[in-house]
Amino acid sequence: MGNYGYGDKISRIDVTEQESHIEQVRTSWMKPVIGGRAANTKRLFQELDFDCDPLGPENILIFGIGPLTGSLLPASAYYTVTAKSPLTGILGDSAAGGHFAAEMKQTGFNQIIITGAAEKLVYILVTESGAEIIECPHLHKKTIIETTRAIRKEHKDYSIEVAAIGPAGENCVLYSTIVSSGNRVNGRTGMGAVMGSKNVKAVAVQGFKSVEMHDPGKFLEEVKKIEKTIHNHPEYNKRYTMGTTMLMGDLNRIGILATNHFQKGVCSYIDHVSGERLAGSYKVKNKACFNCNLHCSRYYVCDKTESEGPEFETLCSFTSRIGNKDLPFALEMNWYLNQMGLDSISTGEVLGWLMECQEKGVIHPEDIDGLSLTWGDKEAIKDAVQKIVYRKGIGDTLAEGATKVSQQFNQEAQELVMQVKGLDIICGDPRGIKAYGLTYAVSSRGADHLRAEPYFELTNRKQEAVNRFGTEKAADRLSEEGKAALVVYSEKIALLCDSLTMCKNIGLCMDILNFENVSALLTAGTGTQYTPEYLQQIMDDSINVQRKLNEEFGITREDDTLPARFVNEPLTEGPTKGSTVNIEKMVNEYYKIHKWK
Amino acid sequence: MIFVDLSRCTGCRRCETACAFFHTRKVGTHLSRIKVVHAYETGIDGPVGCVQCTERYCLSCPADALSIGPSGEIVYNPSKCVQCGTCETQCPIGAIELFEGAVYVCDLCKGEPKCVKACTEGALTYQPEGEHPSLQEFRERTKKMNPSQKRYSYIKEVGQRIREKWREFRG
Repeated sequence: MGNYGYGDKISRIDVTEQESHIEQVRTSWMKPVIGGRAANTKRLFQELDFDCDPLGPENILIFGIGPLTGSLLPASAYYTVTAKSPLTGILGDSAAGGHFAAEMKQTGFNQIIITGAAEKLVYILVTESGAEIIECPHLHKKTIIETTRAIRKEHKDYSIEVAAIGPAGENCVLYSTIVSSGNRVNGRTGMGAVMGSKNVKAVAVQGFKSVEMHDPGKFLEEVKKIEKTIHNHPEYNKRYTMGTTMLMGDLNRIGILATNHFQKGVCSYIDHVSGERLAGSYKVKNKACFNCNLHCSRYYVCDKTESEGPEFETLCSFTSRIGNKDLPFALEMNWYLNQMGLDSISTGEVLGWLMECQEKGVIHPEDIDGLSLTWGDKEAIKDAVQKIVYRKGIGDTLAEGATKVSQQFNQEAQELVMQVKGLDIICGDPRGIKAYGLTYAVSSRGADHLRAEPYFELTNRKQEAVNRFGTEKAADRLSEEGKAALVVYSEKIALLCDSLTMCKNIGLCMDILNFENVSALLTAGTGTQYTPEYLQQIMDDSINVQRKLNEEFGITREDDTLPARFVNEPLTEGPTKGSTVNIEKMVNEYYKIHKWK
Repeated sequence: MIFVDLSRCTGCRRCETACAFFHTRKVGTHLSRIKVVHAYETGIDGPVGCVQCTERYCLSCPADALSIGPSGEIVYNPSKCVQCGTCETQCPIGAIELFEGAVYVCDLCKGEPKCVKACTEGALTYQPEGEHPSLQEFRERTKKMNPSQKRYSYIKEVGQRIREKWREFRG
C-alpha cells in the first residue's frame, strides 16, 4: 500500500511511563477499515479492556485520520477521537474539522494512541520522528486559544495545530470536549474528560511530510467533479451564508425546533435567534475548514465576545431549547463553552431538563443546592455553567450529565431526560423527522444524528426516494415508511465520510458522496482497488464491529429506543402538530435489514 | 503581483493546495509558495506569498541564485543556490523559505497564478500592473524571527486594521 494516501505508521504514547514508540501498520489491517472512525473503532475493539473505568489509565484515547485526509478532496479536514465514553459507558467518539487533521496527516501518522495517566499535566507534540511528552504546569486552567497560542509560541511555529482541553476537561466534566483550530470541537461523549483523566492538556501536531496520491491526475479529475457538485448545489448560497445555523429557521418552519426542552416545536421569537439574524447582525466573515470550497463556518463579533461559530446545535441549545431570546447571550455562551471545553448539547440538556423539572415541580431548587432555573434566566444559566466547568458546589453533581443526575430523583424526573443510552438528544424534534428519530434510537454512541444524518427525508425528492429506498415515503419526513432503508444507507455514507475523511455536512447532508465516487477517489488515491460493492461490505462489517463492541458494554435491543415523550406525546402546534414516532416499527425494520436479532 | 484582501480570507488554504499540487503533484504546506496563517486568537486568516516588495530584500543572495523575472516575479536558479538561507533571513514577511534543499518562492505560474484561480472568495487577485508595496515597516520588527514567526507577525499586523473595522461595524 506504500505511502499513497495511507501513512503506514501509528504513534503510541504511554503517558504513565512517559514513553512513546512508532509502530508499522499492515495493509491487511488498514484496508478493510479505510481509516478515521472505522479504524479507531476496530482499534478500540481489539485493544480495550471493556470493563475498564473510562477515566482510568487503561482507557485508550485514539486520534485517527484517513487516507484522503489533508488531500485535494474538498473538506478532507476531519479527524475522529475515540475512547470508551465516561458519559455513557459505551463506545465514545467525536469528529472535528478545522486544520488539525491536515497537519496530523503531514506528520505521517494515521493514528495517535494515548494510554496511561501522567502524574503531572503534560502535552504531547507529535512530529514525523515521533511523540514527545512535555510537562506544562503553566497551561493549567488555560483556555483553548491560550493553550494553542502558548504551544505555537514555544516551538516558534505557527503552522502547529493543537487539540486541547479546557478547564472543564481538566476537571473531568463528563461531557467536556477537545477543541482544535481555536473553535473546532470534538463535542460529544466526553472525549475531553478522557484526555483530562490522563492529565494530557493537549495534543499538538507539526508535520513536514507531503500528501501524495497514487494517481494524481485521476484523483484531480474526481475531485473536480466533486467540487463542481458542491458549488452547484441548490443549497450552496444558503449554506455559505448561514452554515448549519440555517436550521434554526428551517426546523422552526416545520415545527420541530427544540423549544423549552422539547415541550414545543415552534419558537415564537425565532427572528431574534435565527441564522439570518446572526448573519445579518454579527457575522464579520466566512471561515472554512481545510481545503473546503463551501466555507460554511463564520466568525462573529458581538459586544465583548468574538469567536468562530456557533453551529446550529450550540445556537439552539442556548436559545430556544432553554427559552433564551437573547442572541448576544447565546454568542457569549458559545465562546465560553468552546474556550472552557464543554459540550453545548449535553450542557443544554442539563439546563433544559432542570428548567422543565422545576417548572413541573418535579425537582425543587432546594434539592439542588438552591439552584433555581427558569426559562431564559441568563444569570442563573451563566452561574450554573461556570459551576459545572469548575465542578463547584452543585456543579460537581451536574458535571455528571443529566442522565446520571436524574437517577437521584424519581421516575418522572428520569423520564424527562431527553437521552438515548445516556447521550443527550440533539435539537431536532424526532416527531417531525422520523428517520432522525430512528437514527437517535440506534446510533452506536447514543442519541445522535451524525451516525446517519438522513437529511434526505427533508429534501422532498420523491422519485429519488423510490429509486433508492423503494418508496416515495422515504422523502416524507412525517412517515415511518422506508426510513429504515434510508438510515441503513446513510449510516454507511456517514461512516465513509468519517473514515476517508471528509466533512459529513458536505459528503452526506448535501448528498455529495456515494459508493461509486468514493470507489474512484480511494482507488486513485491509494492505488488499492476499492469497488463500490467492497465498500458497502466493509462499511457493513464496521457497523457490525460497533455493535459487537457495544454488546460488550452491555447494550441490548431494549436500549435502541426513544424517550417516552417522542413516542407518546404529540406536539400541540405547528406543521408537526399531532405527530409521534412509531419507533418500534422502524427499529424492527432496521434490525431486519441488518439481519440482527 | 498577487494582491491579498485579508478581510475576505476564510482560511480554507485552497490557494496552498493548488500551488503545491501545480508545482509538485503533491499537497503539503511546505511545498506551497503561498502559506496561510491562522491567527486563531484574532479571527484573522491570511495567505502570505511574495508581494514583490520595492526593496527586494531577498536579492542580497550571496550566490546570485535569485533574480527578477519579466512579470516582476522572483526567479530561482537551483544550480547556483548554496542553501545558505540568506533569502529567508532577509525577507521581512516569511514569503521565501528553504525546504528540503530548495528555495520556495512565488513564481506567478507563468502569469496565471493557480492560487488566484483557486480562491473563490476574492481574497487573492492578480494585478500585473499593481503598485509594489514597501515592507520596510516590518523589517526591523521581524529581523530575528524565523519565516513562520514572520508570517504570523505580518498577518496579525495587517489584520489589526480589519479588526478595527469589525469593531466599528459590529462591536
